[in-house]
Amino acid sequence: MLIDCLRPGTVADRVDGEVPPQVAEPDSPQAFADALKHASGERLPTVIRGGGTKLTWGRPPAAVDLVVSTTKLNRLIAHRHGDLTATVQAGMTLRDLNAALNAERQWLPIDHAFDEATIGGIVATNDAGPSRHRNGTPRDLVIGITLALTDGRLVKAGGTVVKNVAGYDLGKLVSGSHGTLAGIVDVTFKLVPVPQSSATLVVWYADSTRLARDAAALDASQIEPAAFDIRVEDGERPYQLKLRIATSPAARDAQIAAARALISGDGAVLTDVAERATWAAQLDTMSEGDATVRFGWLPARLPPVLTLLEEMRSVDGVGVTFTGRVLGAGVARLTGEVAALAAAIGRLRGSADVGNVVLLRGSHDLKERVDVWGPGQASDRVARAVKKTLDPMGILNAGRGPI
Amino acid sequence: MTDQVVQRLRSICGDAAVLREPVQLLTYECDALPHLREKPAVVVLPASASEVQQVVQLCSAEGVPFVARGHGTGLSGGALPVPGGVVICLARLNRVLDIDIANKRVTVEPGVTNLEITKQVAPFGYYYAPDPSSQQVCSIGGNVAENSGGAHCLKYGFTVHHVLEAEAVMPDGEIVRIGSSLPDAPGPDLLGVLIGSEGTLAIVTKVVVRILRKPETVQTLLAAYNSTSEAGAAVSEIIAAGIVPAAVEMMDALAIRAAEAAVHPNFPPADTVLIVELDGPAAEVRELFATVEAICRRTGSTVVEVAQNDEQRMRIWRGRKAAFAAMGRVSPNYYVQDGVVPRTKLPEVLGRIRALSERSGLGIGNVFHAGDGNLHPLICYDERIPGQSALAEEVAGEILQYCVDAGGSITGEHGVGADKKDYMPRMFSADDLDVMQQLRDAVDPQRLCNPGKVLPTPRLCGEVPGPYREHPVEKAGLAERF
Repeated sequence: MLIDCLRPGTVADRVDGEVPPQVAEPDSPQAFADALKHASGERLPTVIRGGGTKLTWGRPPAAVDLVVSTTKLNRLIAHRHGDLTATVQAGMTLRDLNAALNAERQWLPIDHAFDEATIGGIVATNDAGPSRHRNGTPRDLVIGITLALTDGRLVKAGGTVVKNVAGYDLGKLVSGSHGTLAGIVDVTFKLVPVPQSSATLVVWYADSTRLARDAAALDASQIEPAAFDIRVEDGERPYQLKLRIATSPAARDAQIAAARALISGDGAVLTDVAERATWAAQLDTMSEGDATVRFGWLPARLPPVLTLLEEMRSVDGVGVTFTGRVLGAGVARLTGEVAALAAAIGRLRGSADVGNVVLLRGSHDLKERVDVWGPGQASDRVARAVKKTLDPMGILNAGRGPI
Repeated sequence: MTDQVVQRLRSICGDAAVLREPVQLLTYECDALPHLREKPAVVVLPASASEVQQVVQLCSAEGVPFVARGHGTGLSGGALPVPGGVVICLARLNRVLDIDIANKRVTVEPGVTNLEITKQVAPFGYYYAPDPSSQQVCSIGGNVAENSGGAHCLKYGFTVHHVLEAEAVMPDGEIVRIGSSLPDAPGPDLLGVLIGSEGTLAIVTKVVVRILRKPETVQTLLAAYNSTSEAGAAVSEIIAAGIVPAAVEMMDALAIRAAEAAVHPNFPPADTVLIVELDGPAAEVRELFATVEAICRRTGSTVVEVAQNDEQRMRIWRGRKAAFAAMGRVSPNYYVQDGVVPRTKLPEVLGRIRALSERSGLGIGNVFHAGDGNLHPLICYDERIPGQSALAEEVAGEILQYCVDAGGSITGEHGVGADKKDYMPRMFSADDLDVMQQLRDAVDPQRLCNPGKVLPTPRLCGEVPGPYREHPVEKAGLAERF
C-alpha cells in the first residue's frame, strides 16, 4: 500500500539522534490512519511526532523507519466557550491554542515547558507543570478523543460534554502512553476561565527544614492556591517556596495576607512580569543540563526528599536544580559525569521516600547504564495485552516507550 | 453450575458466605433498576481480597461468568446477575485500612460507603469530594466501577479525579496494583480506564483516594424563576463571568411539587428553581457570591433566598436530593433518565422534552445538574394502565436521542450497564465500539467479567470476535510484539 504524504527524512526530523529515512505528514485524519496502517503492514518501527520537543524522552531508538508528523493537523476545530470546552487537532501547539482561547478569557490550564509542544505530545506524555495543583494533569482535562489505529481505522471515545460515562475512556488510556498505542488525531478538553487577577508569594530559605515546615502549614490551611511549588538551586538561600493565588482581586490580597501570616520566612509578592518570570523558571528543569529526572513522593515526605537532593550533590557529585510541586511531583535537572549521574539516579531509585523515578532526558551512555522507565509493576502485563491488541506488529515507538 | 463448583466456593468463602436458596438470592436479582432482573446461580460474600481472587480463579478455570456487586444502588443494571453465573458481593470488604491526613490519602476496601470516608476524616477538617446522591449507602467499589460524580463535580470532578491507586483482581485471577499513590506513574493510564468500566475489566479490592481540605466558606442560594430558559440564562451568565460554582442545580415545577410533598423544603412557588453554591476562601466566596446574586436578579428571578446558616443550606439540599424519591408522591411509578447535553443546549432540549411530555401525555419532571448539562428527567407513569410502562420506556429513549442530537451523552453518571447498551450505537460508530470490545477482550479474553454490560450485543462489526491471536508471522518467528 502506498501513501502519498511521504518525504525523505532530514536531520531536523531526528528522533533522539536517529535520522528516519522517511517522514509522513498526513493532512487529514484518514491520511494519518492510513500512514499507520501502511507502517504496520510493512512492519516499520514508527515514531509519531508533534512539535518534537520531547522526542529524546524514552529509551534510545534501535531503529526508526518512519516518523509520522502531526504538523499539518493543527486546527482548532471548535471552541464552545459557553460550554467551556474546545476540540483541537493534535498538531496544534499549546501556545497557539491558548492564544486562541484567550479571546473568550478561557484557557487550557496546562503549562508548556516548550514553545513548540503540541496537544498530541502533551497528552501522550501527560506532561504537567505547576498548574496541576488546581487543575490536574492533561488526563484530567481530556473529555473526548479521536485516535488513528494501526489497522487504519479512526475511532473516538468520550465526547464533547464534561460529564459523560458512556463507554471506555480511551482518552485516559493514551494519556502517558508515549505514542505506543495509537495516534492522537484530536482531543476535546474542558477549559477553565482565565483568572481575574493573580499574585505569587515567593519565600527564600537557607534551610530546607524551614521550607518543609512552611509548605506543610500552608498545605494544611484553607488557602486555595492555583499553584504551589518548590525550587532548589545553588546559592546562599537555595530553597524557594512559590505560592500562586489566582482569583478575584480582593480575594487575592486576602489570601496572600493569610499565607504571609503562616510562613516563618520573609517573602516577596510578585505580580505581572515578575510573576510570569518566576513561574517560567519552574519549567526550566525540563531542558538543558546533562539529564532530567522526574519522580514523585508523598507530600509529607518532603524533608527526606530534600535531603536526598542534597546527598546527590554532596555524595554523588552532581549539580542539581530542582523544581517540584508541593503535592509531591518534581523534576531534577542534573549535571555531571555519566557515572555520577547514574549514582544519583540510583540513589533516588534506592530510596523508600520517592517513587516513579523516570529518566526523561540523558545521553545514550547514561540511558545504557540506567533503565529509563524504572522497574515495572504487575499491571504492566495488562498494559502489554492492550498494546498487543492496538499495535499487533509492535511498531509504535518500538522499544522506546514505557510499554 | 455443578455441585462441585459450589463446594469449592464454600471451601473458599465458608458455608455461610455462599447463598443458593431462592429467597436469599432474591435480594441480588437486581440493583436499583428493578425492572431488570436475573437470577444468579449463586451469590458469594468473600471477606478478603484473597477470597475474591480465589473465587475469580475458580470462575476462570471453570468458565463461569461473574458479576461484582457493591451495595446495589446502581441505576443502570450494572450489577445485574448473569443467569448461571456467580455474583461476588463485596459488602464484607468494608474496612477503612489507612487514614493518612498528612498525605491527604485514605485507603479503603471496596465495600466502604462513600460517606464513610468523609465521616472518618471530617474531624481533621477534610472530606472526600465526589458526592453522588446515594452517598450514604453506595460503596466506593461501585463508585470506581461507575466513575460516580455528584452535585459538586462541576468544580471538583468525578471519582476518576480522586482515586489514585487501586488493587484489582483481574479476570484471570491475578491481583495487580493499578495506578500509584505517588504522582506520575509512567505508562498508559490504566486506572483511568478501569474507573468507569462498570465492573467489566476487573474487581477492585482496595482503593486509595485523595481527600480535600474543607473549604473555608460555603454559600448557597436558591433563586425562583418563571421559566427554565430564564434560569438557564442565569447559568450561562455565571459561567461567562468566569465563576465556577461548586454546584448549580435546577428543578422544574413538577419536581418542586414532588419535593414539597415529600420533605417540605419550603421552596418559593415557581416554575423553576435554581440552586447555586460557591465554596472556597471567605473573601473569594463573598466577592463572587455578590456577582451571582446580581446575575440571578438581573435574569428575572422572582425570589432569591440566600441560606443564612447550615440549617437553611441543608434544607435547600434536602429538597434537591430528595427529588427522585419524592416523585413517588405525585406519580404511582416513575422512570429516572440520565442524559447529558452541552450546557448551552439546555433550553432547546428542555423545550423538546416539554413537547414530548404533552404529546405522550406523561408528566416529566426535570431535576438536573445545570452546570454540566446533566439532565435527570423523571418520567411519570402508572403501570396499572395498560401500555404506560412501555410508553414511559419509549419516552425515556426518545429523550436520550435528544441528548445525542444536541451533541451530548446517553449517560452522565448512572452508567450504561445492561439498561443502555443498545443506545451505544447512537453515540459511537461500529468501529468505536469494536475497539472498546477489543480492549475488553485483551483484558478478559474469556468474556467472563460482567458480560452483557456496556457494549451492545450482538456485535455490530463483521470482524471476528475474540481475544488476541498469534499472527502467522509471529508464529514463524519473523516478528515479535512488544
